[in-house]
Amino acid sequence: MANIALPASKITDPAGYYDLSVLDNPSARRYYRRFDGILIVVLFSFLALGISIHYALTAGDWDYWIDWRDRRWWPLITPMSLMMFIAAFVYPIWKAFRLPIIATAVTTLLCLVSWVSRYFNFGQFTDFPMTFTFPSTYIGLGILLDCTLLLTRSLTASAFAGPFLFGALIWPINWPLFAAYKVPVEYSGTLVSLSDLMGYQYIRTTTPEYLRIIEESTLRTFGGSVTPLTAVFSAFVAVVTYSLFLLLGTAIYNLAGRYVRRIV
Amino acid sequence: MTMTAMTMKMMRQTNSIAAWGLLGFFAVSLLTFSVDAGAHGERAQLASMRMRTLHWFDISVSPTRAKVGDTIVMTGKFIPSELWPEQLPSITDTVFLNIGTPGPKFIRVYSEVNGVPMIRSTAFEQSKVYEFKIVVRARIPGRYHIHPLLNVKDAGTLVGKGTWVEIEPSATAAAFTNEVTTLTGDTVDLESVGLKAVVGWHLVWIAMGVAFLVYWLTKPELFIPRYMRVRNLGPEQANAVITKRDFLVGGFFFTATMVLILGGYLWAEHRYPVTIPLQTGKVKVEGAPIPKGPLSVAVENANYELAGRSLTMRMNLTNHGDQPLSIKEFITANIRFLNGPVSGARVMEGEELVAGDSLHPSVSVIAPGQSIDVVLRAEDSLWETQRMTGLIYDPDSRFAGLLFYEDARGGRYYQEVGGPILPKFF
Repeated sequence: MANIALPASKITDPAGYYDLSVLDNPSARRYYRRFDGILIVVLFSFLALGISIHYALTAGDWDYWIDWRDRRWWPLITPMSLMMFIAAFVYPIWKAFRLPIIATAVTTLLCLVSWVSRYFNFGQFTDFPMTFTFPSTYIGLGILLDCTLLLTRSLTASAFAGPFLFGALIWPINWPLFAAYKVPVEYSGTLVSLSDLMGYQYIRTTTPEYLRIIEESTLRTFGGSVTPLTAVFSAFVAVVTYSLFLLLGTAIYNLAGRYVRRIV
Repeated sequence: MTMTAMTMKMMRQTNSIAAWGLLGFFAVSLLTFSVDAGAHGERAQLASMRMRTLHWFDISVSPTRAKVGDTIVMTGKFIPSELWPEQLPSITDTVFLNIGTPGPKFIRVYSEVNGVPMIRSTAFEQSKVYEFKIVVRARIPGRYHIHPLLNVKDAGTLVGKGTWVEIEPSATAAAFTNEVTTLTGDTVDLESVGLKAVVGWHLVWIAMGVAFLVYWLTKPELFIPRYMRVRNLGPEQANAVITKRDFLVGGFFFTATMVLILGGYLWAEHRYPVTIPLQTGKVKVEGAPIPKGPLSVAVENANYELAGRSLTMRMNLTNHGDQPLSIKEFITANIRFLNGPVSGARVMEGEELVAGDSLHPSVSVIAPGQSIDVVLRAEDSLWETQRMTGLIYDPDSRFAGLLFYEDARGGRYYQEVGGPILPKFF
């Protein structure tokens, strides 16, 4: 305890280096572990709350309803939204601790919070079936993003490879969840998918059919190869968004760094 | 000690405004949560907007008592007003026929307008008659106020007249199922289809994510020690805190994730070989012309009398037919003003907002060939309770409604009337 209670000026030597012998002190290590536990709870609570609000505001309906998750807009909007939040936190956590965990933490927390929200808010409170409102999964993409950072050990290299994989694979990773709902049905003489049918049958008073921003037929669909083309474009969008918000995270970290270092 | 007792004690001790505020909050909360959620905000819309957008009429809901799994049919008609406000996005663009219920207490199994299925969005013309039918199946027991409604793109929701429906549990108490046969020949229940795979894959990914995080978060040195080492190593050498084991674990998770994504994709392609993209688009529905009756109507002016809660219209009526005509009804903003008692009118089971003996024409019968000035007064407290008195505060003071009249043979005709309106404050 005495070691860690030293004023900041005595923890570092005149050159600014920390006295690492303190890490051999069992008492200090015990207190550090306790602090780690508190920080994990605080950080993860903040990330869970933050990503829930951010994602609800930026992707919202695209992830609430299975009849909004199309192959053209959903794979673009979703990585863009997630990259903003993840990238802003990657830089400080990597720079300060060399921990490649943010993308996995954010996507896992989002998944857990989404399940709680969908089950209680959409299921128990408003009676929507879970088949209609289950959350998508992004955890595997978060792992890939963190692993590219870990394996390349470079923020620059991972800013290309990680988000590219994130954007390109967002449709394939969710296809095992979605495919059952894209099976065709004939209903009242109209061709619809099971997703469309659920959107029609499970009444949403203020979410009419036309409100969905989903793929519509155009002349610019490259022979119908929408999914692979969207994957490439989504990957590009994810790289750009990630890079921009990585810069934002860098700026905030450097600006606030001096105050954080004083606290630590 | 209960919350109320605590509040009373607080008030005795401090007599503070905060305590009274707290009590008021509890009282409002109690009132709020102890009454039925009966309205869908239709009274919140401006009176003139309700009068000049859609004229709903002949709305019927049958049956009004049913069990879970039973079918309920809602029918009716509407006419998009010729006086549709210019500033409001038009109904001629994009519209969806919907139903107002408190969540999916019912499933909608069919809907049509003028015989055209309304799975998709459409558009309507002004001054045309549209006959709709919505078939729902009861899903959750309870008492619900259900409305027909139209969602108009960029304008909002236009709500038709509501009806209370009582849904009881099914006799067998079996879980509600919603089966449908796909074009691939499988019969699936939309309440549970695909959910096992969804939960299974989520559990796999949650396990992966948690395992990855646990590996890092259980390291002996995490935030402060790691920060100290990173700082001491400097930017060039800081990567040294990542061990060979970390690298190998990262490689394992990367590979396992790629294998799982590929495997999952191939599994889904094999399991569901035939899939289609989400379907959208608009359907076209022809409106029917308003049946031409023998009466021509020219509105000269109209007043709204605030104290008397009445709308008075002065109009010139000319009977071009060979039968005497009598004015029977005036409908505006879903309120029916009847010339005569409710018992003698076509009132549907469970119908609300019907004001008997509330329509007073100055002339009871218009003879064939007669042209006459008539004063028509629609007077009832529903003007107040339905918040129609706000008409005088609207920025665009005009009204519209449907006038119904009958000939001696019982022929029923209707046409839209409307125009500027002036308030009378005293």
